Amino acid sequence: MIELILYHDGSCWVAGNGDISVAADTLDRLDDRVRDLVRDHGNYKGTGNRKVMMRFDNSTIPGWIRQYMPHYFNRMITVETG
Amino acid sequence: MERTGSMTQRKWYSGMATQEDWWAVWLGLFFFGLGLFSIAGVDLVGWVAYPSTWIDITRSVKVLGEAYQGIGPVWGLITTYIVFTIATCIGAYFQKLDVKRFFFGWTFIFVLTYAAWILGHYAVITADVTTRDKYGLDYSLSLGEGGPFILCLILGLIIGNFFKPLARYLGEAAKPEWYIKTAIVFLGVKIGYMAMEAADFVFELALTGAAATIVAYLIFWPGTYLIARKLFKFPRKMSAVLASGISICGVSAAVATGGAVRAKPLIPVMVSTLILVYAVIELVILPPIFTATLIHEPIVAGAAMGMAVKTDGADAAAGAVMDELMRNKKLAMDGTRWADGWITTSAVMTKIWIDMFIGVWAFVLALVWVYRIERRPGEHVPASEIWHRFPKFVLGYLITWFAYLGILFLFPDVTDAARIGAMPVEKGFRNLFFMLTFLSIGIITDFRKLAEARFAKLILIYFIALFVFITPVALVVAYVFHHGMQVPLAP
Repeated sequence: MIELILYHDGSCWVAGNGDISVAADTLDRLDDRVRDLVRDHGNYKGTGNRKVMMRFDNSTIPGWIRQYMPHYFNRMITVETG
Repeated sequence: MERTGSMTQRKWYSGMATQEDWWAVWLGLFFFGLGLFSIAGVDLVGWVAYPSTWIDITRSVKVLGEAYQGIGPVWGLITTYIVFTIATCIGAYFQKLDVKRFFFGWTFIFVLTYAAWILGHYAVITADVTTRDKYGLDYSLSLGEGGPFILCLILGLIIGNFFKPLARYLGEAAKPEWYIKTAIVFLGVKIGYMAMEAADFVFELALTGAAATIVAYLIFWPGTYLIARKLFKFPRKMSAVLASGISICGVSAAVATGGAVRAKPLIPVMVSTLILVYAVIELVILPPIFTATLIHEPIVAGAAMGMAVKTDGADAAAGAVMDELMRNKKLAMDGTRWADGWITTSAVMTKIWIDMFIGVWAFVLALVWVYRIERRPGEHVPASEIWHRFPKFVLGYLITWFAYLGILFLFPDVTDAARIGAMPVEKGFRNLFFMLTFLSIGIITDFRKLAEARFAKLILIYFIALFVFITPVALVVAYVFHHGMQVPLAP
């Protein structure tokens, strides 16, 4: 499983780890770019279906709100790497 | 900027050391544990300083534990300050707050809280019809513990609205959710303790509270969502966040739903600003209105409060104020002395049921959104989301509740000894954290945010949904499930 940290910078969703990083204005486009990147990436290419776990970086939510709910969301997509 | 992911939820135990929700559990259980030592004959919690009704200010504070009467009120106050300062600063350190700023902010809030708490116990404010003679009074406001509550809230609101730089500085320590969740863990001790006198009542309250909560979810959320969508033509995501925020449990529901429907974080942030202001408006106006109109159905009033007032802090605070107002009104009306805490408990218990379901509700919303509405190919919603959104302080509340219940029923021989350690926790510590909550809510509430807000439609829909739809429906649902339940009499 590939793990990415997800956040929103005010205009775009951004997902990345030390290895890859992508940004898009919608989650649909973000997923497309993640898929493209994973498929083309040397480390992941041809390894069958890969699960990509995106964990939201809750520091994106202002501190005064985190006391009420410390978690936004995590999501997982499946990428066919061929 | 490279994100380290230190604030992501990875494992089931993520956040145990860093989230205020967990720290409410740790603080609550720590002091609950200290209280249990009384079973072994050692009172480790009786040092807490507690204000009492006064005419002579030198008699305005007492120490709750018999074993600590020798230290006197001043050392009681100092001990209370030192113990809770250490405990909360440790919590602030692990929550990665600015500990120095927290320390100074906490000290300011603690001192002001006790000052208001003591001042609010002036006999003219608190004494009721049966105790006026004792204090040589012809007239008193009969506000009981409600007087200090209101005083703390007013002081907080003055700071939050007229001394903004100070309010910003105190913001590091003004943590109403942390304080109220800790108080609710202490409340678990009280409920376990009270269940000795009224086990059937507690059981009925819990059962009807759960049923009322489910009914409320199924009516409130779709109703508010439809108002937002059909009447105000709001987009789906905004309508969903609004519906959860207004109809379920305020900020926590708005954020949970924002995540569930994959909304940009700005949306729940915007809604949360409104929720906090409206919660304080409800806290101020609903207790006197319910007291004036529902004195014959106090538990209905408490449960309706739990469904109508958003945020745990404002709900518990409103329940506590109404508890005082109703008990004093009842006493003045026909001389009946209701036991304290039951009306607050009905408000809090209803709210806790609502809180507990938010994780499941948000999970269902996420499934609907991901698989039915947006149909994003290849996306899965992890079931662990339910746990990540579960309010952890509820665990502390249930542990303290059932632990005392278990002790009192399974080991009746140690009941009296257990009560020695339970009383300072459920009375002294709980009310202290209620007071801290009141002051903190005031400090972080800025009414000008409503005037500055550029989302007039949002303000209007909130008003309509809350006062025209949710509050009346909450009263009906509460009546259906709780009518006829009367508060047990004071021993």
